[in-house]
Amino acid sequence: MGERVVIVGGGAGGTILANSLDPKRFDVTVLASSPVHLFQPALLYVAFTGAHPRATRDEHRLLRRHVRFVQDAATKVDLTDKVVTTSSGARFGYDAIVVATGMAPDPSQIPGLAEVDARFGDYHTDLAQAEKLWSSLQAFNGGTIAVGQASPIVKCPPSPLEGAFLAEELVTRRGLREKTRMVFFTPYPRAYPSAPMNEVVEPIMRARGIEIMEFFDVDRIEPETRTIRSIEGDEIVYDLPIVIPPFVGADITYEPCDVVNEDRFLITDKETLQIKGVDRAFAIGDGSNLPTSKAGVGAHLEAKAVATALAGRPVRFTGRTHCPFDVGYGRGTFVIGSYDAPVVKARPSRVKRLMKMAFEWIYWISLSGVIEPVFTVYFKLTAPKPAPASGSVPDSSSSLT
Amino acid sequence: MDETTTQHATPHTVVDSRGSSCPGPITDLTLAYRRSKVGDIIELWATDPGVRPDLQAWARKTGNKVVSVDDEDGKIVAVLEIVKR
Repeated sequence: MGERVVIVGGGAGGTILANSLDPKRFDVTVLASSPVHLFQPALLYVAFTGAHPRATRDEHRLLRRHVRFVQDAATKVDLTDKVVTTSSGARFGYDAIVVATGMAPDPSQIPGLAEVDARFGDYHTDLAQAEKLWSSLQAFNGGTIAVGQASPIVKCPPSPLEGAFLAEELVTRRGLREKTRMVFFTPYPRAYPSAPMNEVVEPIMRARGIEIMEFFDVDRIEPETRTIRSIEGDEIVYDLPIVIPPFVGADITYEPCDVVNEDRFLITDKETLQIKGVDRAFAIGDGSNLPTSKAGVGAHLEAKAVATALAGRPVRFTGRTHCPFDVGYGRGTFVIGSYDAPVVKARPSRVKRLMKMAFEWIYWISLSGVIEPVFTVYFKLTAPKPAPASGSVPDSSSSLT
Repeated sequence: MDETTTQHATPHTVVDSRGSSCPGPITDLTLAYRRSKVGDIIELWATDPGVRPDLQAWARKTGNKVVSVDDEDGKIVAVLEIVKR
């Protein structure tokens, strides 16, 4: 029997990792609470364009034959005795473990948000919530649309701005732009947190009349007065709130308990992806506390890095990000950076937006690992250049993107 | 990223944001600020040079105090005092 590897979570990272491990060397089990695999970026288009993509697949069918899939929710991970316990009471011993649970929305952190979320929907929770937001946008007939994130922790840093761009495009196409005030709020010092990318997108937002409220860290929402208030003391009165909820790590008890932080994210070495102080234990994807974007491409590259580490070869995760970014009206760009290279200033184009849309079907193939050589070449060609000693940022002319 | 120590007279939280440029150190600072109380000290470590102007802007907006910002062999160490919540 090979080394027993338990992967907790069946999202992009867990699936790619499971399919990347050599069946001759590893006995792989994927534990996931749901049998359904959701292509999360589709929620944006369900919510803002009313699209009906085939956004889900059966997780079991996405895994190679040698991988054992168990639909059961992990409730306890004992990293000392190397046992995972599930909600059904089953116990899984392992030699190596990879936690790939992702993170969960937690509207309860912000007073008033659960009520707003239930009424208007959002585009980060699930398909039902995204469809509800589409209905809310359809019912909107003018007033103030307030778009933003309720916490600094968010899936895919471009997504709050994508929501603002696509909402603005929608109300324009519906002939409501003159009657609509568009407000974008963010806890960051600028519309996009990374300064080079902000230089690209902020002028587009201003040109489209989207107001930007920086340093707006949501404290509470008062549905009765339709007001969002910030910790910094500012407020927005809305007619349609589009609020991305805060996120927390999976609801799992760990032994030892100090491997997770206050928000239940696993404390993870940013280069080896090893869980703090535990051999043959790794975290990938949104459930770690890595200082990089929480996005599918990160989960993908982290899965490949852990597959390499499990195979006994030296590896260093570079923190590479490559997040697609829809700026509306058929244009898009990518946010590209790494631990060693500042974010590249990449201007939007129609080709980049087409690449983003093409990824919707490439995604399902990518999970199997069969086109990994293509990704390897692509990421190499688009790699950002390491930061110069002066700390200045590279210009788009130095990038293939 | 956070580590709270008790060796100081007031709660002193070290926030290690080295290597983070997207979304960036300000994310970790904002999270630490959410958990802080008046009188707390937050020590932010970063390597992204963009953190310097961001810290000053953050302090102006929130009414808090940047005690010091030093460069220690490529590691930017900023000490902030929470005077307003």
